[in-house]
Amino acid sequence: MAEAKKQIAFVVDLNKCMGCHTCSIACKTLWTNDKGMDHMWWMKVNTMPGRGYPRDWETMGGGYDGAGNLNLGKQPKTEDYGKAMEFNYEEVFFGGGNGKRAHLAPRESPGWGPNWDEDIASGEYPNTYFFYMPRLCNHCSSPACAQACPYGAIQKREEDGVVFIADQEKCESCPEPLCMKGCPYKEIYRNPVRNVAQKCNGCLPRMEREVAPACVRQCPGRCIWVGFLDDPDSPVHKLVEEWKVALPLHSEFGTKPNVFYIPPLSPPRLNNEGDIDATQPRLPVEYLRSLFGPEVDGVLSRLKGEIEKKRKKEESKIMDVLIAARWQELLGPFVKDPSEAR
Amino acid sequence: MTDLRLKLEGLAAKEGRLSDTPDFSLGAVRQNIWDWDRVVKGSHLTNCWYQTACNYNIYVKDGVVLREEQAANYPPQNDPLAPDFNPRGCQKGSCYVHRIYDPTRIKYPMKRVGERGQGKWKRISWDEALTEVADAIIDTATKEGPSAIVQGGGTRVMNIGSEGTGPTAFFVGLGAPLSNVTADNGDDHQGVAITLGKVIVGDSADNWFYSDMILIWGGNPAYTNIPNHHFIAEARYNGTKVVTISPDYSPSAVHADQWVPVNIGSDAALALSMSQVIIKEKLFKEDFVREQTDLPLLVVESTGRFLREKDFKAGGREDTFYFWDLSSGKLTEAPRKSLALNGTIPALQGSYKVETPQGSVTVKPFMEILSAHLDRNYTPEQAGQITGLSSRMIEQLAREVATAKGVVNISTANWGKCYHGDLIERAILMVFALCGHMGRKGATFSAFPMMGLDTSLGGLEKRGDQIILSAAGGDPRFAQWREEGFTDEMILYEYVHQAFSSGGVTPTSLMYYIHGGILDLCAKHPEWDPDIKRPIKEYVREAFDKKWQFLSPGLDKEPKVMFALGGNFLRRARCTNTLIETFLPKLRLLVSIDWRWNSSALYADLVLPACSWYEKTSTFLMGMPVQPFVHMVNQATEPLYDSMGEWKMFCLLARKVEERASERGIPSYKDANGVEHRFAGLEEKVTFGGLYSEDDEEGIARDAFLNASNVEQIDWEEFKERGIARYTGVGTGMRSIGTTCDIVPGEPVVPLTWHTERKDPYPTLTRRIQFLIDHELFRELGEDLPVHKDPPPAGGDYPLKLTGGHARWSIHSDQVDETLLLQLQRGGPLMFMSAKDALSREIRDGDTVEVSNDVASFQVQAGVSPAVRPGQVIIYHAWENYQFEGWRHFKSVMASPMNPVELAGDYFQIRPITMSNYPGFSDRGTRVEVRRAGA
Repeated sequence: MAEAKKQIAFVVDLNKCMGCHTCSIACKTLWTNDKGMDHMWWMKVNTMPGRGYPRDWETMGGGYDGAGNLNLGKQPKTEDYGKAMEFNYEEVFFGGGNGKRAHLAPRESPGWGPNWDEDIASGEYPNTYFFYMPRLCNHCSSPACAQACPYGAIQKREEDGVVFIADQEKCESCPEPLCMKGCPYKEIYRNPVRNVAQKCNGCLPRMEREVAPACVRQCPGRCIWVGFLDDPDSPVHKLVEEWKVALPLHSEFGTKPNVFYIPPLSPPRLNNEGDIDATQPRLPVEYLRSLFGPEVDGVLSRLKGEIEKKRKKEESKIMDVLIAARWQELLGPFVKDPSEAR
Repeated sequence: MTDLRLKLEGLAAKEGRLSDTPDFSLGAVRQNIWDWDRVVKGSHLTNCWYQTACNYNIYVKDGVVLREEQAANYPPQNDPLAPDFNPRGCQKGSCYVHRIYDPTRIKYPMKRVGERGQGKWKRISWDEALTEVADAIIDTATKEGPSAIVQGGGTRVMNIGSEGTGPTAFFVGLGAPLSNVTADNGDDHQGVAITLGKVIVGDSADNWFYSDMILIWGGNPAYTNIPNHHFIAEARYNGTKVVTISPDYSPSAVHADQWVPVNIGSDAALALSMSQVIIKEKLFKEDFVREQTDLPLLVVESTGRFLREKDFKAGGREDTFYFWDLSSGKLTEAPRKSLALNGTIPALQGSYKVETPQGSVTVKPFMEILSAHLDRNYTPEQAGQITGLSSRMIEQLAREVATAKGVVNISTANWGKCYHGDLIERAILMVFALCGHMGRKGATFSAFPMMGLDTSLGGLEKRGDQIILSAAGGDPRFAQWREEGFTDEMILYEYVHQAFSSGGVTPTSLMYYIHGGILDLCAKHPEWDPDIKRPIKEYVREAFDKKWQFLSPGLDKEPKVMFALGGNFLRRARCTNTLIETFLPKLRLLVSIDWRWNSSALYADLVLPACSWYEKTSTFLMGMPVQPFVHMVNQATEPLYDSMGEWKMFCLLARKVEERASERGIPSYKDANGVEHRFAGLEEKVTFGGLYSEDDEEGIARDAFLNASNVEQIDWEEFKERGIARYTGVGTGMRSIGTTCDIVPGEPVVPLTWHTERKDPYPTLTRRIQFLIDHELFRELGEDLPVHKDPPPAGGDYPLKLTGGHARWSIHSDQVDETLLLQLQRGGPLMFMSAKDALSREIRDGDTVEVSNDVASFQVQAGVSPAVRPGQVIIYHAWENYQFEGWRHFKSVMASPMNPVELAGDYFQIRPITMSNYPGFSDRGTRVEVRRAGA
């Protein structure tokens, strides 16, 4: 596969994400509200640690092995996404006369969902922990989904590195979606009505008009940056390449993802006396390493050091970029208002 | 998704383009993301409170709203380093379009044909519906009087443009009481009202950026402050320490620099202990305390009451107080017209003798008495026992707060929902006052944030400056007030109190206690607060006998017609089933007005379809200082089905009342004071003398904006185009003025600077921030000094304490049953419980559990999380009654015993006014037991 000349990248700040899912809704209402897409959440936020969405995706496999060979993992099952919920509104509001009072509930027990383990912490009180992690397609530099597709239907665009389903016809004729097995992040979805694979398109139709992706532009927490990784002036470049404070998720999957995360700080633990125990962080460092690699230790101390500088009223360029005093700084070159971009 | 494929009857006739296809699919209409006819600015006409409001672009095609996206056009603040307010918005506002087209929409006027709540309905015409309401109003006004016509209002009526203007004008025109729902919601700030003499005090979110420390104490901004939350994260990156104090490791503790895990309801003990450390270690700001607080005022040692002028001479003033001036060494009258000390140095310590006609008495500065009280009862070791915190953590926190240059609080609306929330607020305020973290940029205390357009529309919500002007011209008390140094703020509160004492405004919480059986229930259970010395009904009788409290309709009457509008009272109320069983049978007619079916509608006799928020033009009369912009909504599409705006509805209703009264030959009725009212002319009263026709909703929105004095002066068309304008002042509206500061556009809102800088007195008895409340009832209950009291066993002797909070997923119940948002939850109500309590009850995550106490029981799914404090269970707010099996609502278990201290009155700042000083509901810490359903 050809290398992208320019690579679009996202930085997600896990110290700013409050788990509100405005990004999920922004994406859903724009892209996945047609038939066969009920279960699809190209953008979603998961409480971490958790089983996530699709359920247990982290253990399903895919990506590449150490030697760079493609690994086909599992394909998520319908129940791993959770059944789409349909509700009995009419029965509740107008159900008089049929005896028992019906209450509003999904007609079928969903079993799971895109945010099922919301706010379910890990650890033991009071030293419990969790954080919120938005996830979308990583638009990988070595996309295992594309590699896995026997028809070459999935491609990576040269001009911006967006991974997209380029050939719908080929995709429709596919008997077995190997792309879903290949993607270790499980960001390829199957539309059972149209019988095609579908995925985050990077909001390409927006970016082409200089409008930021919906998840980025609509995030009230201002926690997602978009930009070209190779643009030295871009905050994305600075955070990822220059200061190296934004890390890829599960880089061991080998796909060279282009979504990077500012790892989460956490309040200190408490010891048995109820006093602050500064000897180890609340969020277990082994867990964070399992997500972001061994570099995470250094990044967390760097972040703390930079905050300390700000406390002393010293300059911190990293903090200034992360603060993003002007919201448009998050949008990279995609600063147009969509209502004016037609 | 089935909810997006609906019949849209009526639209073809109205717009002439989109056919009434049964297979209308929003997904299909949205196929081409660049295909729209027009984009208008709009927002969501609900009360998101701290989050209100957000400017959206509404995309419209063929008469259908396709989608909405944040306009993100807020101008930057003046400081180039300070974060701006963009983009604002949240997940709920970003899919409101789904609500317009989903099956919860009320399409036609509906009349109940079965039992209340049975779900049997008949579609009727608007004319039939209005006739039925008009006849009930005429019957009631003539038989029981207009005070029996009440609102089960919600906060949308108070806050939001046209939804409130119609009903408010109608009720005022009829002489029926308006409702005040603040303490019914539990959004009251009684402790702040007692201490500061007001509750409306709020800063802007960018102010947090300038603080050294943010104390998230009694709030959960990760859920309730979504558009503003970035200011917390950005302040943290700017070096601000974020401390979250909460029993559970809450979503707002996740991003804190320190989490302080307190026992439920023990926050007063924590704050008092911090105060103890601050005073003992002399870390308090002497100048601030001397000038702004009652701590230097002299207290008579033998009585524990302030020394007053009347102690010296017969006929002396009840509200003249004294301090001991260290510079002259003399007893000195505390200034009343200003806080300025003019060179005097009030003593904070010592013991003095003063001569009175009764002989020599020993007096001490209140600070001296307070510090002895704190040393006796609230050392960090003692408080550690109560709060479950280590004494070291309490000490460290106290020192850090005291030595920080500036501390701000984020408290949202929690404390009003605690039985002893007033005590908690008084104690927290003490920490802020001792440290002088008030009235400075980055150093502020906020309580009830509100910022209103200072405009003459909306019935009682008159322009404050007009009230003052008319008082100056016509009220004989005015000269006296000015002579006594009353500020405009104080004069306005006099009129607000008058609205309560005359029956013009009535607190719905008190109405439900007395007419809804909740008082009877708590009278039956004195064990719910063993601390109370007399039967609760005796306190209530006393409060009415002494004219401390007022209610309309009064104790000897019953409400007969209720309008459930602007809210959802049967979902909101505590003791839900008690209310349904006791209150509803008293009603001749319950009318519900909303755009969606809700619990109140399902129990109503008549249901009237209001149009949705994108189907009308409105200005937000109420906003928040948190984001100091006024917002508006342009009508994006025609009202669907038979729906219409509330303005039109109430114009037509007024006309119908006149018509029916004339047809029935009933010209007039008498109110509770014997004053005669005529039905004729009601429509003229509602329409401001015919100034606005029933179709001129935009006229109201326009004039509300243009007549306001405290907003950027731009023309209406430009405002419609932008969707936002900056506030330029707090204005003179009574629901804004409490913030008492100038507003400079582009700068943070820093409340209380008129007191801290301009030295305006506070609207309290002592004219200062007041911690000693020497009211007889407070003394009887042992609450004259700030104290901690354990939350009582409300609901009975059960091991678990139920807490809650506003939800992430819904503003009140507006989105609580929205398909898409439920998809991102578990499809229905969830109760979080601790891993420990779940284990001991053999409950696993996802199990259905039965929750019960002395009052009621309900079933809910359990979410098991070690973030929950053992002994605590959490249900976030606003689930509808019909989302629970058998409609057994979770709020039914909330016993909400009345706290007698909230009945106090006749003590300057402690008199019923809007939003405070009357009994309210409490639910935090309700006792329950939980077991696996079927086990």
